[in-house]
Amino acid sequence: MNIIEIHGLTKDYALGETTVHALRGIDLTIAKGDLVCIMGPSGCGKTTLLNVIGGIDSATTGSVRIGGQELTTLPDREITDLRLHRLGFIFQTFNLIPVLTATENVEFPLLLQKEHSKSEIRARAEKLLEEVGLSEYRHHRPSELSGGQRQRIAIARALVTNPDIVLADEPTANLDSVTGASILEIMQTMNQRQQTTFLFSTHDKNVLKYARTVVHIKDGLIDGE
Amino acid sequence: MGILLRISLRNLLRQKRRNLLLGAAIAIGMAILVMANAFSHGISDVLFNRILKYVSGNISVSFTQNGNRMNQLFRDGDRMKELIRKTVPEISSVNEAIGIFSRVIGNARTDNAILVGMDLKSETDPKRLADLKENFRLIEGSYDNLARKDLENPVLLSDEKAKSLNTHMLDVLRVRFQDVNGQNQAARVTVAGIFKPANVFMNTPVFLDIGNLKQLAGYGPNDIGQLYIMIPNPKKNAIPGANALHVALKPPLASAFGHLEFKGRSATATALGFRVDSASLAGLMKLLPGFFADYRLMSNDVLVGKALADSLGLHAGDRCSLSYPPKSGGENVTATFTVTKVLPASTNFPPNVIWVNDRAFYTFYYDHWPSPPQSENGAFLPDSTSSLHPFLCREWILMNRSHTTEEMQRDLKLLPQLKSHAVAVGVPTMYESASMIINLEYALNLITLGAVLILFFIIQVGVVNTLRMTIRERTREIGTMRAMGMQKNHVRNMFLLESFFLTLFSCFVGILLAFAGMWLLSKIQIHSEGNHWDMLLVNGHLHFKPSVLGTALFMPLILAIAAITAWFPSRTAANLPPSEALGHFG
Ligand SMILES: Nc1ncnc2c1ncn2[C@@H]1O[C@H](COP(=O)(O)OP(=O)(O)O)[C@@H](O)[C@H]1O
Ligand SMILES: [Mg+2]
Repeated sequence: MNIIEIHGLTKDYALGETTVHALRGIDLTIAKGDLVCIMGPSGCGKTTLLNVIGGIDSATTGSVRIGGQELTTLPDREITDLRLHRLGFIFQTFNLIPVLTATENVEFPLLLQKEHSKSEIRARAEKLLEEVGLSEYRHHRPSELSGGQRQRIAIARALVTNPDIVLADEPTANLDSVTGASILEIMQTMNQRQQTTFLFSTHDKNVLKYARTVVHIKDGLIDGE
Repeated sequence: MGILLRISLRNLLRQKRRNLLLGAAIAIGMAILVMANAFSHGISDVLFNRILKYVSGNISVSFTQNGNRMNQLFRDGDRMKELIRKTVPEISSVNEAIGIFSRVIGNARTDNAILVGMDLKSETDPKRLADLKENFRLIEGSYDNLARKDLENPVLLSDEKAKSLNTHMLDVLRVRFQDVNGQNQAARVTVAGIFKPANVFMNTPVFLDIGNLKQLAGYGPNDIGQLYIMIPNPKKNAIPGANALHVALKPPLASAFGHLEFKGRSATATALGFRVDSASLAGLMKLLPGFFADYRLMSNDVLVGKALADSLGLHAGDRCSLSYPPKSGGENVTATFTVTKVLPASTNFPPNVIWVNDRAFYTFYYDHWPSPPQSENGAFLPDSTSSLHPFLCREWILMNRSHTTEEMQRDLKLLPQLKSHAVAVGVPTMYESASMIINLEYALNLITLGAVLILFFIIQVGVVNTLRMTIRERTREIGTMRAMGMQKNHVRNMFLLESFFLTLFSCFVGILLAFAGMWLLSKIQIHSEGNHWDMLLVNGHLHFKPSVLGTALFMPLILAIAAITAWFPSRTAANLPPSEALGHFG
């Protein structure tokens, strides 16, 4: 079963007088439970593709389906809700909320959902912090943690809602290779254990080994799988 | 939502310096606002409760004789007081206010002063007595001295007045003044106390016991001067009270019923006064042909009907007298008249009436107020439907209720056209008689409004700029939260909450600042001898009167302003496309 189905996806950006064709007709299907690496040089359109899949940017033409649900025609309120319940995000720059502690950052999406009790939320957040190996840092603010620790919290945050898909845009780009490898290992473990679909992008060939499927992109087009 | 609140509050603390700056500005603005409000309230309090009470009361009842406002006299005092008590529902006090311009001769110095009656005996409320004693703090002597019998006309005067007259305790001064009858009088008074007035208004009066002053000025036992009525909540009650009083003061027809006597003969007769303004005379001539063919206004002229004249053998030029029972009881009193003309018999009026011109009429009428005649005894009393009624004298003239000081003064100026010697009774409220003071209060409210506008401006500029900076710095955070699945309106609310709480805390701090400031400012002793501003001081101190209601109303107002101001930048933040906010080429 395909969790993601993309047909004829294009994305244009107006840049002053000219138009940048960031995506130029992507057809892509991703099976549920896959661990996909989007691979390509800087500027090829990886971030754009992940953003459109994640519903935080809109497609110019084409169709994007998440679990059978067409994204391109959905109003903002429902796309936001879909992100809250079915997607998780991991960013290159970690993007934790600075005024919240590690635990609170992990709890954040569940608090937004308002579907669980306080104690359930706390228990789930602490379990995930334990899984990424950061239990002892649960009261620390992001500024008190290293890059690798922050990214592990970001993974916990992305997984806390049990999403169908986790989208990670160059999650290791700001980390040294050893730390980056550990992050990808965690993702690998979670993918195997929970059957969560992972999509991560990278321009670094050394991390390809962690992926089950690799999609090569060049100049906004798929250049082979 | 808990998480939004938590994030908002922590962010307020995170951007300490900027928020402290804006918070301080709002706090100072709020402090100014509370202080301005308390100050204007304080001045209102001074104006209304400490000055107005002595210069006009909330409602006053004035009795102007012959158009002279300084000459206030009404000769049926008990009836008037009774009528006021019955008409005005709630009264704090009714005080007789008698002020007489005088020249005071001190020790080789003279000065003008107003002799003012002080009514300590009828002031039984200890709180108001204490209030009075605070307004006139005695440096020497005592209030009880005013009642001393061993001193000749004991008086209290201000320290400044004492200085200008070069006089000291127990000195005897001479005063010259006109009494209520317009006679020049001189009297000796004894300095029985020297006070320091709470404000500049109180420098000129020289206080005497009211009974003493009335005696000196020629007031009879049932005579009263102007009355000042103090009532609770004058803003609401003064005008309705004055209006009700105005209705109750509609003057009845004036007449005297008794025996007309001439050369040992006597017949019952009703004396009616007729008005002598040109309109009334014209009206009377139309009603009663031949009424005044060659009438000239003489001091005690009367016109007598033919039947009555015949029965007494009266002719033009004869002097006759009317003997009637006075209202005060006791023996009959006699008024003497000269017959100007015997009127031909007419069906239009009854035989036993003598027609007395306005001036002659009021002269005897007020001297010995007649007991009200009864028509059962044969008195002729035309009712208000009678065509004669509009041209006849009433017990007094009732001035129109005026709405402004100008209107009141214009009406007073028009009074001489009536050519009447009747007392003109007016019921102005302080809003007409003391409109200058009221206007000052409006001006003070404007100051408060100015403070609100300043605060409004601070909030506008401060909140908008702070929020813009904050949003710019936290754009990536906004993008992250949106990506995590936070709805737009939650993002907006998060920033609104920040501005709201910053304003709320600042307002509280501002209120505390204001109270500290007022406490400090009211500690300062201000010396402003002779400066007009010192009328706004209470015993040389600024007087603040913070109003809980006022402060309680400003808070939501300011919070609302802050929220409205914060709305637009917050909404802009909420509407940022998430990918842009995340910095993807943003
Ligand atoms: N907001 C934007 N405005 C204009 N051009 C953009 C914008 N976002 C991306 N692009 C362009 O689209 C292309 C793809 O960018 P991106 O998806 O960020 O590539 P990658 O993530 O693979 O480095 C690039 O040429 C980039 O310059
Ligand atoms: Mg990129």
